[in-house]
Amino acid sequence: MGTLLQQIINGLSLGSVYALIAVGYSLVYSILLFSNFAHGSFLVIGGYSCYFALKTLGMNIWLAGGLSLIAAGVSAILTERLAYKPIRERTNVTLYLLIASMGMSIVIENIFVVTVGGRFRALPPVIPTNPVNLFGLATTSAFDLISLVVAIICLGGLQLFLTRTKWGLAIRAAAYNLRIAGLMGVNVSRLISLVFFVAGVLAAVGGIFLSVRYTLYPQLGGITIKAFVAAVIGGLGSLPGAVVGSLILGLAEMLTAGFISSQLRDLVVFSLLVITLLFRPTGLFGKSVGEKV
Amino acid sequence: MRKLALTVLLLALAGTICGAAFAEDTIKVGHIAALTGDWAAYGKTEEMAAKLAIEEINSAGGVLGKKIELIVYDWKARPEDAVNAARRLIDEDKVVAIIGPNGSGGNIATAPLVNSKQVPQIGTLPTNPLVTVGEDGKVKPYNFRICFTDPYQGKLIAYFTAKELGKLKAAILYDVASDYSQGLREFFVESYKEYGGEVVADLGFRGAQDVDFRAQLTEIKNKNADVLVLPNMGKEMALIIKQARELGMNEIVFIGGDGYGEFMWEIAGDAMENSYWITHVAPEDPNMAKFFADYKAKYNDECKEFANGVMAYDAIYWLKDAIERAGEVNSVKIRDALETTKDLKLHHATLTINPADHNPQDKDGVVLIAKDGKGQFFKKIKP
Repeated sequence: MGTLLQQIINGLSLGSVYALIAVGYSLVYSILLFSNFAHGSFLVIGGYSCYFALKTLGMNIWLAGGLSLIAAGVSAILTERLAYKPIRERTNVTLYLLIASMGMSIVIENIFVVTVGGRFRALPPVIPTNPVNLFGLATTSAFDLISLVVAIICLGGLQLFLTRTKWGLAIRAAAYNLRIAGLMGVNVSRLISLVFFVAGVLAAVGGIFLSVRYTLYPQLGGITIKAFVAAVIGGLGSLPGAVVGSLILGLAEMLTAGFISSQLRDLVVFSLLVITLLFRPTGLFGKSVGEKV
Repeated sequence: MRKLALTVLLLALAGTICGAAFAEDTIKVGHIAALTGDWAAYGKTEEMAAKLAIEEINSAGGVLGKKIELIVYDWKARPEDAVNAARRLIDEDKVVAIIGPNGSGGNIATAPLVNSKQVPQIGTLPTNPLVTVGEDGKVKPYNFRICFTDPYQGKLIAYFTAKELGKLKAAILYDVASDYSQGLREFFVESYKEYGGEVVADLGFRGAQDVDFRAQLTEIKNKNADVLVLPNMGKEMALIIKQARELGMNEIVFIGGDGYGEFMWEIAGDAMENSYWITHVAPEDPNMAKFFADYKAKYNDECKEFANGVMAYDAIYWLKDAIERAGEVNSVKIRDALETTKDLKLHHATLTINPADHNPQDKDGVVLIAKDGKGQFFKKIKP
C-alpha cells in the first residue's frame, strides 16, 4: 500500500511537470495547427537563464525565476518571428513549419553546446528536496509537492487568462478559426506572438523544475518528447486534454517501472499513444477537424 | 588581360599544390571524441588532454624529427558517427593511427573499417572485451586499448563490495541501452556470486533518455539491499544517487565503476559523500600531478573527467613510443610496435600489452572514496 501510494505521488509530480510543457504544445497547435518541436529548447533557455541569474548575478530564486520566464518567453517570440513567420506568410502548408521547428530545436541546442559547453550543471538547491513523510504511509520529496502545487497554480492562471481576459477571448477565437478572428479585427501577428510567449513562459517553469530535480544540459529539451506524447493522448489543441494526458502518462510511467519492469516503461507509454489514436484519432479531448465543404 | 588573370590563377593553384606537398611533413593522428551530445564533457576533456600531450612532444622535437598533428572529429556518442569520423580520418586526412573513442559501442562499430584499412586504433576508455577480441574469440589485429576491461573491472567491483566492504546484498541499476553498462553488470554478477554475494534487485533504465529513477529506487528500497551497484555513466549515476537520498535511502552504500567524473558532485552534491568508485587512476597520483597542473594552467579548468583526460594523454605518449620503435611513419609497422609494447613507463601506469587480446596486463584497480566534495584515493586493489 505504501509503495503504491509512493509511486502514485511520484507519477503525479512527474505528470504535473509534463503538463506544463504539454500545455505549450497544445496552445501553439490550437492556433497554428502544427507541433512546435523547438518547444523543448525554450525549456533549456529557461533553465540556463535561471542558472546564470542565480550563479553569476547572485539573484534570489524569485528574481532569477522571473528573469528566466521572460527570457524563455522572448526567445519563443523571436523563434516565431525568425523561423515561422516568413514561412507562415508564404504558404499555409503546416508541414514546413514542423520541419522548421525541428531545425530550430537543433540550432538552439547546439548554440548552447558551443557557448556554455556540454557539461552537466546543477541549479543551486533553491527548491527544497528534503524527504517529507506523509502520515507514515510514504516518503516523498518536498520538491514533488512544490512542483505539483506550482503546476496547479500556473495551469489555473492560464485558465483564468483564457476565460477572463480580452486577449484570452481572442486566443480562443483564433483557436476556433484564425482567419475569421483576423477578419474580425484581431491583430493576428500580435496574437501569435502572445501565444508563443505564454508557451515559452510555461516551458521555462518546467525547465527550472527539471533542472533542479535532474540536471541542466543542452539536450534537456529531449524530455519534451514525452510531454508531446501526453499532449497527443489528451488531444492536441485541448488544454484540459494536455493536463489529463500528462497525468495519465506520468502515472503510467511510474506504475509500469515500479510494478512491472522499468525496461517496459517506454513500451507502455508509446503503446498507450497507439491505442488512444486507434480508438480516438484526435486524442481524448481533441475536437475533430473536419473539412468544411 | 584575361590571359594574365588565368596565368595568375594557375600560378596560385600551383603554389597551393606545392604548399600542400611541403605541409606533408607532419605525422597525422586522428582522435574520435564526443564533443557534443550526452558525453560532451568526457570528449572535450580528452581532446584538450591529447592536445596537451602533442604540444609537449612537438616542443621537445616531435617524433622521428616530425611534428605530430591531431585531427579531432565528433562522434556524439553515436556509433554511426564514430564510423563516419573514422572513415573521414582514414580516407581524407590519411592519418597513421587513431585514438578514441571512449565508448565500447563506438570502438566496436569502427573495428571492421580500421582493420580493413589497416590503421591502428587505440580506444581511450572502452572497457568491453569485444573492442579488441571478436565474437569468434580472435583478436582484432588493429584494435587496442589503454584501459583495463569490464570483466576485470566487474571483478574488482565485486571483490571490493563483498570482501573489503563485507556487503552481501546488492541491488543493481544499469543502462539497458549501453554495451558498457550491460557488460559490466554481467561480469559483476558473475564474480559477486563467487564471492558469496546475493543480487536482490536487478533493474534497468534507458540511458540518455531516462532522468527519473524513483520508480526503480522505490523497489530497491523495499528489497532492503545494503549496497547499490551502478555500472553506468556519470550523469545517470549522479541522478540516481541524488534521487535515492531524496527518497530517504540513507543507509545504502553506492559503488560504481570508471564512469565516475568529478562533475557528478555538481549534480548530486552532498549525496555523493561516502560512495566508492573503482577506476583507472587516482587524481592525487603523484605521477599525474604535473599533468593536472599543466592542464589547469593551459585551459583554466579542473580536469573533472580525469580518467578520460589521463587516458587520452597517455594514449598519445604510447603512440609516440610505438612510432619511434616502428622507425618509420607506417601504419602497419606502428601496429606491430603497439602489439609488442612491454614495460613501457607511461605517466599513470607501466604498460605491457598481451598480444593474444591487445589488452593491458595486470593493471591495478584504484578505489576512490567520495569525501569532502571530491573523489579521494582510498586504496589500490588486485583480487
